[in-house]
Amino acid sequence: MKISRRNFLKGSATTLFLAGFNFPVLANTDKKKNLVVIMLRGGMDGLCAVPIIGDKNFAKRRKDLILDETIKLNSDFALHPKLKNFHNLWQNNLGAIVHATNIPYTKRSHFDGQNLMETGGHIPYSIKSGWLGRGMKLAELKGDGLALALPMPLLLRGIPSNDNFYPSKKRLPRTELLQLLKSVYTDKSEHDLANMMEIIANRSMMSSGGTSMSRKNSSLAYKAGLELKKINGPRVAVFEVDGFDTHAAQGGVNGSHSDSLIEMDSIFKSLEKGLGPEIENTLVLTLTEFGRTIEQNGGRGTEHGYGSAIFMAGGLLKKSQVYTDWPGLKRKELFEGRDLNSTIDARSVYASAMSTVFDTDFKRVQKEVFWGDKLQDLSDKLFKI
Amino acid sequence: MKNFYRKVAFGLGPDEKVPSDPLEWAKDQLNEIPEFSWKGKILPEKELRKFYGEWVYGDRKVLRKKFKNDKDGYKREKNKLRHATGQKFWWNLELCIRYSEALKSETPVLAKLWYFWGNHFAISEKDFLAKYTTGAYQREIIRANMNQNFEKMAQEATIGWSMIHHLDNEQNIGPKSQEARWAREKGKTKGVNENHARELLELHTVSPDCGYTQEDVIQMAYIMSGWRPKYGKKRLETGDVHFNPDAHEPGTKTVLGKKYKRGRKSLSVAITDLVNHPSCRKFIAMKLCRYLITDNPTQEMMEPIIKAWEKSDGFLPEVHKAAVEVAFNYSDKYNKFQNPENWLLQMSKMADVDLIPSPSFMDLYKLGNKPIKDQRALERLMDELGQHPYLAKQPNGWSDMSEDWMSPELLIRRLVYAREAYYKKSGKSQTTEFYEEMIEKNYDDPTEILQIINQHKELVHKHVILFNLPETLRS
Repeated sequence: MKISRRNFLKGSATTLFLAGFNFPVLANTDKKKNLVVIMLRGGMDGLCAVPIIGDKNFAKRRKDLILDETIKLNSDFALHPKLKNFHNLWQNNLGAIVHATNIPYTKRSHFDGQNLMETGGHIPYSIKSGWLGRGMKLAELKGDGLALALPMPLLLRGIPSNDNFYPSKKRLPRTELLQLLKSVYTDKSEHDLANMMEIIANRSMMSSGGTSMSRKNSSLAYKAGLELKKINGPRVAVFEVDGFDTHAAQGGVNGSHSDSLIEMDSIFKSLEKGLGPEIENTLVLTLTEFGRTIEQNGGRGTEHGYGSAIFMAGGLLKKSQVYTDWPGLKRKELFEGRDLNSTIDARSVYASAMSTVFDTDFKRVQKEVFWGDKLQDLSDKLFKI
Repeated sequence: MKNFYRKVAFGLGPDEKVPSDPLEWAKDQLNEIPEFSWKGKILPEKELRKFYGEWVYGDRKVLRKKFKNDKDGYKREKNKLRHATGQKFWWNLELCIRYSEALKSETPVLAKLWYFWGNHFAISEKDFLAKYTTGAYQREIIRANMNQNFEKMAQEATIGWSMIHHLDNEQNIGPKSQEARWAREKGKTKGVNENHARELLELHTVSPDCGYTQEDVIQMAYIMSGWRPKYGKKRLETGDVHFNPDAHEPGTKTVLGKKYKRGRKSLSVAITDLVNHPSCRKFIAMKLCRYLITDNPTQEMMEPIIKAWEKSDGFLPEVHKAAVEVAFNYSDKYNKFQNPENWLLQMSKMADVDLIPSPSFMDLYKLGNKPIKDQRALERLMDELGQHPYLAKQPNGWSDMSEDWMSPELLIRRLVYAREAYYKKSGKSQTTEFYEEMIEKNYDDPTEILQIINQHKELVHKHVILFNLPETLRS
């Protein structure tokens, strides 16, 4: 264990101090920047995905779940061996991790936790829009969101006219018919319908001979990458990966938690492929409701926990790093004696990311998207600004 | 005016006569709760909940332990357990029962309002509720109370097993209760869970407009503490709901300025007060107008419904009649963008689409087997259209706002499934004459509509265009 909590805190205090006096002038760059959020549903186990190296407490409590052949990231942390694509990104300074972080939700309901990870609030169900939707509204990005889901996820709500894409298994009607409907909509001043039909008609011409596309996240991600690459395409995309709730048979390298991590990893790969060089102007972030208990349970799985990790990818990252204020894994350092603690409010990462990608002042994001909650501006620590 | 038939129901089917008095036609459907028109098997909620219990127990207490080192074995056995408890079948059966009320009953207006109330007291996507019990909850607690006062529906929904479990009231323990004390002795903390209390105020009765505070929510949660399923070693959390005094917060509580004594009766007294609060009837009137007429109801629209409520003490048949009358009076002025489910049912009714599998076919299902593909058709279809009625994302149910249903992918589904539906029609309804008659019966300007759809030759294309015209999407 080489990082010390004390040292980190010194560093972060400096950052906060500087941020308080620094009023950044935001220039409108003509480069189009993209933000992608991957929601990991079920509670992603940050300690399985990014295990700590050489911590006796960890080895003792998880003896049946410890992974072999992990990929060493630095002197303190390793990477799950199945996250090969992410590791490639890491090696090219296109991958980074924030560890021991979570949204400020300390109870253990998926139901409430997933609501809060999307709304960014404190009380489940009290907010009816998503933090990303509100951030886009603040940055006036109407019509720039793309959800790879049906219907629109809560995360993107709060701004109208987002696009969504989730391939239908059936063929679209012929283009002439779509054009006819579009002209009827226009004649009847149904502008929203007409705009949507325009998007649909273009989409139908793109599809290859009417064969239905796969709904696998990896192929959706490739498609999303192609759309994000376009200069007038969407600027925000949202994915969902299920299945992180591994109460049993979580297993090691080939366990059920690995299956979900592999799916996440495939999104990184396909996005990179679809985006091509535009990966440089893109930031990808993951989001989950909570981590999992350190201790394995009777079924060699883990229960709902608290602190987890955020995966980040793309050229807008400052560098490859595991950014953390590591809380330690001794019993007294754990949250309620059982979970990895969260020392960084995950919303600080999301607010900083929106500030960076949307070219919007952090303080405005903090105030208008997160109700002025106490968040740190991590932009200069994590991202290229 | 003809859009009224779609506004308050699903349009007129080929065998239905045009009513001489449309408003009376609608009102006549609202007095009684007839038997279900579905002629196949219908299981009581209690029985379905038992299956739920077997599933949870088997997975959580047996399989997870037995297969702790065998991911594939665990998956395989879990699948067997799914079928042994009918997990993939029941909700399809429930959808058959639900949609028969819209398409095959004499009371489609009642059906459209049933869907409204099911969504008002929504059980959203949580655990396995949708797959076992949500449909039955909507039958036994929602529909069965549509000829009662709103208060009775609110009382029963609140302490119904589905709602208590859905909104975590089983975890709502008074911090000064006996149970919290026992927990403290063991070094644990147990306390209040406000979830259900908040939704009771916000979504089910008075709404935030009444101006309650966070303290009111907490006090309401104290009143509700102790209401939870009877826990059993094998049935786990699926036992009947009862009041457990050990988990109830002692002392007097105050909600919206009124005091409530400790004990079992306080919840029912509090609900009586909430439903009689002026904000409650105003909120329900607004929601009914929003569902039937427009996203932004006016005070004038809401007024007759509020009056009917006051006169009848919230007697739902009277409230419903007032609502359909308002819808009738505004039918020429307002069109409401229809959600995917209502759109599908309108198309199925007017164009005679064979949407629902037959009772004899559904009753072929044998517990323990995987249902046949066509027995699961409705579940898949609703998922594809983006609105499975038992899978609302949040306790506030599916949105009644147009903008939430306007997205390219959702419109694509209407294009694609209009086409699919055409091929599910009998030959006798696949004729030009059929369409002409149907349009004449259901649309105010049949000439214009025929002119538009006749720009395409093939009947299937005419069908797709018709059901995606603004005149159909909005009713």
